[in-house]
This record gives sequence, structure tokens and C-alpha cells, in this order.
Amino acid sequence: MNAGTGIKVIVTMIGLDGHTTGAETVSMILRDAGIEVVYLGCNQTPEMIVDAAVQEDVDIIGISSHAANYDQVIQVVNLLRAKNIGDIPVICGGNIPRSRFGSLKGSGIAEIFPPGSSSEAIVGYIVNNARKAYAAPIPEALRAS
Amino acid sequence: MKRETDYGYQIKPVYTPKDIEGFDYQRALGDPGAYPYARGYHETGYRSRMWTQRMTAGLGSSSDANKVLKKYREMGQRGGMQVIHDRVSCSNIDSDHPLGRREAGILGWPGSSLLEFEELMEDIPLTGQSITVLGSSAPSPLRLAYLIVLAEKRGVALSEIHGSVMESPFENYMGQTDVQPLELNLKLFLDVCEYVIRNKIRMRAAIISQHFQESGGNNAQALGVVLSMLKEICGRLIDERGLDFDDVATLPYELVTVGSRFFEEIAKIRALRRMWAKLAREHFKAKKEKSCHLLIAVHTSGRTMTYQQPLNNIARCAIQTLAGAIAGCTALDNATFDNAHAEPSELAARMSLNTQHIVAVETGATDVVDPLAGSYFVELLTDKVEEEGYKMLAKIDELGGMIAAVRKGFITDMLNQEANKKFLEIERKERLVVGVNHLVIPPDEEFEVPIQEVPPDSNAESIARRMEQWKKTRDQAAVRERLSRLHGDAKKGDRFNLMPAIIEAVRVYATAGEISGVIRMARGLSYDPFEMIECPFELHQTACA
Repeated sequence: MNAGTGIKVIVTMIGLDGHTTGAETVSMILRDAGIEVVYLGCNQTPEMIVDAAVQEDVDIIGISSHAANYDQVIQVVNLLRAKNIGDIPVICGGNIPRSRFGSLKGSGIAEIFPPGSSSEAIVGYIVNNARKAYAAPIPEALRAS
Repeated sequence: MKRETDYGYQIKPVYTPKDIEGFDYQRALGDPGAYPYARGYHETGYRSRMWTQRMTAGLGSSSDANKVLKKYREMGQRGGMQVIHDRVSCSNIDSDHPLGRREAGILGWPGSSLLEFEELMEDIPLTGQSITVLGSSAPSPLRLAYLIVLAEKRGVALSEIHGSVMESPFENYMGQTDVQPLELNLKLFLDVCEYVIRNKIRMRAAIISQHFQESGGNNAQALGVVLSMLKEICGRLIDERGLDFDDVATLPYELVTVGSRFFEEIAKIRALRRMWAKLAREHFKAKKEKSCHLLIAVHTSGRTMTYQQPLNNIARCAIQTLAGAIAGCTALDNATFDNAHAEPSELAARMSLNTQHIVAVETGATDVVDPLAGSYFVELLTDKVEEEGYKMLAKIDELGGMIAAVRKGFITDMLNQEANKKFLEIERKERLVVGVNHLVIPPDEEFEVPIQEVPPDSNAESIARRMEQWKKTRDQAAVRERLSRLHGDAKKGDRFNLMPAIIEAVRVYATAGEISGVIRMARGLSYDPFEMIECPFELHQTACA
């Protein structure tokens, strides 16, 4: 599978959350899809994530959240906007209650992938919504309808 | 659909005496209460002692967690309490640290000072129940110090208190992270274990496989890993601290995760008892029979609690609780049906505790010890998981033991591979999970379960501000003096026990961030693991720089 060739993504934990299994599994899925993954690991502040996004010139940021620290995810969006790179979508995965989806999306989180999300859904979203054009054409199966 | 154990043993449709040919009852199992203890440590099982039924608490401020503990007592939690630290105090930083104030009290109890412990334990007895406070390895010495000082203040004899407040440094590599270097966590863990043993304090050290399995590890790997951890820690306490194995053996507390594959989980726990007994007798040359007993508590698996159709988790929790009971555990705490959404709500906690009470009093499962003994299938599974567990133990031994295996990245690599394998098994429908990849319902047919929110008046910032204000009210000279002593002691080498100096610092309300900070400085590390704040004290003799 190479649907994601040419796309570069940050996958990261945020704050002091140490539940890394989800982030590491998603990194594997994305790499298998040909996406270049910059995995930042634990103990990342919103500032550090945004700095890394600038330095690495990534096309999308994926944040794994298992510690109810949503304020910090929103902080990432705000910092990106302040740096005029608000066009980098921020997506989020983890055990986030559905009742929070509305307020998180209202604050600029592009998409939320709760537990049980399929590889296809995650890769498909990234392929269709990453910031810039890239080399490989979008395969029919993953193209947004 | 796969019909195999999580470690890859193909399960046959039927088992007969042929599958356990040569089975020798006395050698393989022994009666309950007899070596090799596969059937448990008590001749009459739960008739002599019921397992400790408890739930995890910790959310919001210390007073909030205190209210929850009191509520749990009303719900029938009398044998023991269990509290988990928030992510901030897990890393030995204070709630008024720039990172602390973002998430103090969000995912646990903000336990970074004696003050917080006093509030947590207000009107809750220190005796008559086991006191378990865990979260990560780094705060282990602080937790013991809180307990010692509070017991003194209440005039309670330390010998009357039991429970578990220490946690092995290995959890850091199994998803239960703090930010302390392995060497420092190991040194402090050995300090606190040595202190407890030498002072005959009945506190257990969590050397546990729970996080390993919750992060994806399989049953056989878990057995190998837990035996390796026990071997490493007991070995170091004997070799480096000059302790006797029969004293060291009173220390470990093993928390096993139990998932829904009922028979395999029971087999794992039976095998673990046998493997520990053999390690104790054959490797460590135990002189006391009691040293062959390993305290085994069960945690029903949070990993199996699905986000989809959360009420299904009540059924999973019941099956797992029954497995834990039949396996013969000492204590049991449940994941709750809302586990994939938030910290337990009161409803979910009551449901889980009641699940334990139902299994204990309504099913008859507690009337008989080890009721599955002699089942061709269960005995075969017990042998199989033990055999595979020993292979993992041998592999880790070859790498030079658990610490060497951690340093070489062996443990984290193994976990990543297993977690990925488990994910793909579900994605490819090789394993079915109702509501996730089988019998899925549309999101609009889902219904919301009540979500436990952090009380609005005890958000992270208000916990931080309280800590900031309160710090100013302490006897500053005393805090500085005790921290200076600790700093001096911390320069005296790895085998110089820091517990006495830590207890003295806790007594004058020095905080986790301060205590950990001066120890770090003495070892040439930055005061703050995140290098965001400086040491606020001018330490005696050595300048704070």
C-alpha cells in the first residue's frame, strides 16, 4: 500500500500522558500506507509539537489523547493559527467521549478517531485532507466521495 | 476466527486424558496450601479469607478523591482502598509546575505532598484495610514517607498498617511512564524496599505485569516478564543490599491482568503460582515455606473495555471477575464499563463492585478451592503457558536479566509487535469483539453513559494555585535544612539509603518536586526533569546551580 506516499505526518502524545500503545500502532498503520511518520513520543507540550511541525514541515498532525487533557490539543490548533500555519490539520485519536466531539471540532480539531477506528478510515482521511499536494495520485478506494 | 491462545497455541476441539498423560497430581499441583501451590495458598480458599474487593479512585483534588473513597466504603469496599496518582505527581513534579498546572488532578490523585495525602485520607482509617497507592515508580519513596508520617501523627503503630505503595522501575517501559531515568528509579526503589524490609513494615512492592499486558503483551510473555522482574529485584536486594531472601520474599505484590479468554486466564494465574514457588525454592533457596507464596491480585482488563456499546463491558467485567475468583486471587479491582470514556463514574464503580459481590456471594464459585483442577483442558493450558513463559524467562536471562533487556529495547520492541499484532487481528476479524468488529451498530443508535467530569471548582489551575499559596505558609528554614541534608545524602553513592532523609523532608512538607529535584541535582541532573524551573532554595554547603 502506498496511498500516502509523499505525505509527512507528526504522530505524538501530548502533555504527560503515557498511554502510547495507540500512537505507536497508528504510526505503524501510517508507515505501512507509505506515509512518512515523525513520532514525537511522550511529554510533548503544545509548543514543542508546533515547533516540530514547523521544523519538519509536516502536512498533518495526529495527537493521541488518553488523559482527558483536551485543552492542550486545542492549544496546538491555536498556536498553529498564531504562526499562520493553521492550514495544517490537527486530528486526534483516543478515548475521547462523544459528548466532547462537538466542542473539540468547534475549536478547530479537524477530525476525531475514537477507539475501533479502522486503518482505512484513518489513512483515507489523511490522504484526502493532508495540507499539500503530493506525488502519488489518490487511489479510487480512498478518494472522498 | 482464530482458535488459539494469545501466545499462539492452537486449541483443539476436545481434550482427553491423553493430553495430560503422565500428569502427576502431587508434583504438578499439590493440594491447596501445599507446594508447588498451583492450587493456591489456603487449604480452604475463600472460606478462610475472601479476596479484597476494591475499586480505583483518584480524580480532581485530594478532597474530591477522599469523597470517592468514602463513597466506595459505603458501597462495601472495606478490605482495601486503591488510589492512582495523576500524571503530574507520577513524574514527581508539583501541581504548580508549568506542566503540572495544565493537568493536575485530571487523570488521578494530585499526590505531590504530605498535605495532599492528609486530605486524601481524612476520616479514612489507616488500619483494618490495605492501603494501596500507585501510579508510577518515581513517587514510591514519597508514598511510603507520607504513610509513615501520617501514621505517626495519628498515633497508629506502623506495624498495624499494610498495603502497597512502591512500584517497580520497569513500569516505565510498559506504558506507566514517569520521566525519571531508569538508574535513579531503580536506586530509589531498592532504597524503599530495603527500608521496608529492615524496619519490618508490611508494605508490598508492586512488581507487576498488569501494564505489560494492558499495553499488548500476551499471557506467556507476561509470565516470563514478571518472573524476570522478580528475579532481578530480589537478586539485587540480596546481592547489593545484603538482605536475606526469606525477608525479601515478603515484598512482592503481583497485579495480573485478566481478560475475557476465561480458561487461559485461569491457567496463567495457576502457572504463575507454580513458577514463583519454584523460583523461590530452587533459585533463591527459600528456607521458609511462606517465601514460596506470591501475593497475586487481579485487575480485570481495561484494554477489553470497549468504547462502543459500553454496557457490553458489564458482561465482560463479570466474566473476568469470575475468572479472577476461580483462579484464586488475593485482591481484585475492576475496570469499569466507562473505562474507554473517562475515569469511573459513581454508577460504573458501583456496578463493578457489585459484580464482585455477586460473584462472591451468589455464584458458589467461592465455596470450593481451585474448582477447575483436573480438567484436561485447564491442566494442559496451565502447562503450556508455563512452558512458553519459561522460554521468555530464558530469553531475558540470556540478554542479561530484566534491566539489560529494558536497556536493549527488547521489552518495548516486544510490546510494540504484540500491540500491532492484536490490532491487526481485530481489523482482519481474526478475533471478534462485539460492537467493535462484530454486530456493530450505527453511532446514532449508541447511547451515552454518564461521564465522570473533574469537578469544575477543582480544575488543574485551582489545584496548582492552592499548592503555590500553601508552599509559602510552610516553615521555610526547616524545608531548606531538610532538603540540604537530603542533597548531601544523595551524593553518598547508590547504596546509601535516602529513605530517612526523605521522611524528614516530607515531615516538614517538602514536596515531590523539591525532594526529587535535590536528589536529581546531587546526581548531576537538572533540578526539574523538564528544565523549566530552577531550584527555589539556596541549599546549605552546596550552591543551587
